[in-house]
Amino acid sequence: MIISQMSGVPIYQQIADNFRTDILEGKIAEGTYLPSIRSLARDLKISVITTMKAYEILEQEGLITAVQGKGYAVNAQDGNMLREQHMRKVEEGLLQAIASARIAGLSQSELIETLKLLMTLQEE
Amino acid sequence: MMEFNSVIHGENILKKYGKFRLDIPELDVPRGFATALIGENGAGKSTLLDIIAGIRLDYKGSLRFFDRYDDKDRENDPAVKNAIGYEGTGNYFLPMWTVKQGREIQKLLFDSFDEDKYIEMCRYLAVPDEDNKKISDLSDGNQMKLKLAGVLARDTELLLLDEPASPLDPLMRDKLCDMIREYLQSDEGNKSVLFSTHNIADMEAVTDYMILVENGRIVEQGFVEDLKEKYVVVKGEKADEEFAEKVLYSKSSNAYGFEGLCLAERLDELAGINVKVEIPSLSQICVAIMKQNSALYGIR
Repeated sequence: MIISQMSGVPIYQQIADNFRTDILEGKIAEGTYLPSIRSLARDLKISVITTMKAYEILEQEGLITAVQGKGYAVNAQDGNMLREQHMRKVEEGLLQAIASARIAGLSQSELIETLKLLMTLQEE
Repeated sequence: MMEFNSVIHGENILKKYGKFRLDIPELDVPRGFATALIGENGAGKSTLLDIIAGIRLDYKGSLRFFDRYDDKDRENDPAVKNAIGYEGTGNYFLPMWTVKQGREIQKLLFDSFDEDKYIEMCRYLAVPDEDNKKISDLSDGNQMKLKLAGVLARDTELLLLDEPASPLDPLMRDKLCDMIREYLQSDEGNKSVLFSTHNIADMEAVTDYMILVENGRIVEQGFVEDLKEKYVVVKGEKADEEFAEKVLYSKSSNAYGFEGLCLAERLDELAGINVKVEIPSLSQICVAIMKQNSALYGIR
């Protein structure tokens, strides 16, 4: 996990983002315990409260559950959430493409044609 | 605001000497976290730590430790003081003691003093390996390292550290932060550290909860992540400075623009002017509050 002190994104957000991606992509299996709050704080050289806030975000999102005396365990993930996560990335990429197309003066049909062309090229 | 259990709870703590008056109606230090006692020199940080540790007994008010012992238990039941590691700014090694004698005396004084761990800590902190040197001949930094090794070599639940970072160089301050984190994680949620500091920036990455003391009073306290939501840094153009002034805690300005701290809940009063809003650092929060209070009390 890479944590940046300078990115302007709060550190707890960066930690939550990292774990969220790993959980949704299935890199961390259901039932696995995340590192304890204080050992993660030690390993990342950050405060306990920052780590705790990251875990609270993930808990609110339903990705993990606090188990009394044992820590935070990863919940079973339904496929829809993973799909949604990817959909968001697709939309982000497309929005960027639209912005660039505007600057380049591309029409809607030209943009769609470009997309189709790129997809066929990829398939080949 | 996050709920927590207190490792130290104090009520109506009062101590007067000369013109100075420490007056703390309520004190809570969260269990399982690192708490920074922040304030200028003479704010009352050391006095408060000494009162908590029982170094000073001439105070009014009551204290509760670990949710079950009061100040009398602290003096009468060795279990309480055995569970507390205190590091003060004064000399508590006698001037004629050598490094070796200092180690042997701590072994006699403290039930859970682990000599091997002490030696390991001294090595980790790069204390010169000179057993026959007088402790009083060591540098301030090395004397501090010996004190830290001493408290960390014992089996405690609470550390009270008075200005541990002050005599240390940047590399050693980093190690100090690592040691605090290691201590906290060695018994998840049960070990707590209370340290005083005026090097806020150096200790920020290890501070969970902060208590800001000024003129013998607590002027702000809370979990750092909560405070970073309570306050925001506002930056704006010179032309808007006068308009923004009414909501700013402390302001610095130059020919190009201004910058200050304001309560997040008052941010909408700045609607209509062009400002940039940022999350403050702990030092920005502390410095702004200190400036504000100094202005109120007419100190500067």
